[in-house]
Amino acid sequence: MRLYDKVFPPKQMVLSSGKTVEERFTRIPLILTGLLFMMILSIHITGFRISTLMNRGNEFFVILNQMIPPRTAYVSQIIQPLLDTIKMSLLGSFLGSILAIPFSIIAAGNIVKNKWILMTVRLFLSLIRTLPTLITALIATYIFGLGTMAGMAAISIFTFAYVGKQLYEQIETVDMGAFEAMEAMGANRFYSFLTAVVPFVLPAYCSTCLFCLEGNVRYASILGYVGAGGLGLILNEKIGWREYDSVGMILLVLFMAVFLIEGISYYIRKKLT
Amino acid sequence: MIEFSHVSKEYSNGVKGLDDVTLHIGQGEFVAIIGLSGAGKSTLLRSINRMHEITAGTLQVNGTDVASLNGKKLRSFRRGIGMIFQSFHLVGRTTVIKNVLMSKVPAMPFWRVVPGIFTKEEKIDALEALDKVGILEKAYMRADQLSGGQQQRVALARTLAQHPEIILADEPVAALDPVTARQVMGDFAKINKELNITILLNIHHVELALAYAERIIGIRSGKIVFDGKASSVDKAVLAGIYGEEMPEGVEELYEAV
Repeated sequence: MRLYDKVFPPKQMVLSSGKTVEERFTRIPLILTGLLFMMILSIHITGFRISTLMNRGNEFFVILNQMIPPRTAYVSQIIQPLLDTIKMSLLGSFLGSILAIPFSIIAAGNIVKNKWILMTVRLFLSLIRTLPTLITALIATYIFGLGTMAGMAAISIFTFAYVGKQLYEQIETVDMGAFEAMEAMGANRFYSFLTAVVPFVLPAYCSTCLFCLEGNVRYASILGYVGAGGLGLILNEKIGWREYDSVGMILLVLFMAVFLIEGISYYIRKKLT
Repeated sequence: MIEFSHVSKEYSNGVKGLDDVTLHIGQGEFVAIIGLSGAGKSTLLRSINRMHEITAGTLQVNGTDVASLNGKKLRSFRRGIGMIFQSFHLVGRTTVIKNVLMSKVPAMPFWRVVPGIFTKEEKIDALEALDKVGILEKAYMRADQLSGGQQQRVALARTLAQHPEIILADEPVAALDPVTARQVMGDFAKINKELNITILLNIHHVELALAYAERIIGIRSGKIVFDGKASSVDKAVLAGIYGEEMPEGVEELYEAV
């Protein structure tokens, strides 16, 4: 930064009192150069070619074209997998959200003062969060066998890690005044938490859970790819058979379901805050 | 009865919060503690219910050695001491009466704490506490919808519902406008007279301290530099507490006299 200031000297401003203030030259050119360099590097690494995009890009529209019009007759066979998908995301989100509560309490720095407990729990939560849901689902199929049970387990594990992190951060931002007042009145830490922290985090917690559920419905629809049940199963099958009109119908139904669930969840979350 | 005998408090960085403090405060006294920020007012107040630890000397409250208390005993001891804070420390999201009822929580069984079930007697007691501070009609409003002065009264009602023998107030009027501050100080004076509750409060407004409290304790760098009747405080005493820089409004106070 010293060098930078030498190349682009700061602007001197003299006030009427004779005092001088230095305004440093803007750092934006430096940031832009860095950004451009990274962009070029990633083009090299990923082997991106604009010509490929030009030549093959329209294939995407060919497939999209074949999806239209969707095969409406297929809808009767979609309903069951769709319900499976919604069921496993609902149940998975619920279980994960409940399980996250005790862990986020002991991961919150304002409730637990022991550094080792905090670090261990947080490390555990972030480890689980790094695990892609698809991989979790794959492992779950080995444990629970093919079907929605495996999908549900994968979703609850993901929800657990996501809600757990969000919740402990919400707990940490709570104004601890009321907690202090409870302790001064002779309540133990657990009672103080229940009466002075829970009312503050409860709306945000419910909102996070619903937000997670929205995403989970979308996730759940691809979990079938690894045999974890739901829409992904038939989606995989129909793409394999190149029955793009059926694929179109599946996507349309999924879109409507996701749209509906997001709408309801958005409405409730609005009411919560 | 609160007895400080040679009490000191040294922080881990070597700073002395309290320096050889010896005090006797009888039941039913109304005491204001004045001094600069960082002089040890808060430390003095908070050591009484052991929200802060002392490092030397003995501190007895109604014959109990505060330093000896632990766990359950400490918590049941704290139930007899009310505490008021500068920023009220209410749960703003819930109703006023629920906030007052929180004073009942420490002694409640777990199965009633979780769903928040209170008995009729507890509710009536909470409402009576609200009536004493004159905001009974706000009982079912959300606490964060009230003005600062009203919120401080809710905090006062919460403390009264504890039926304490002592109330510790840490800068209770610092966040309030001058008019409301007077009203809240008036509430303290009334409670002190009617219920014979010992009141100790930290305060920056010297003129309020002199107008409402009976006894003034001046503290400077952790040492007690003045302890006497409010009427015996004069300019020299204040200079001893605050040094050269007098707090705002004090000059006028003595010019008027």
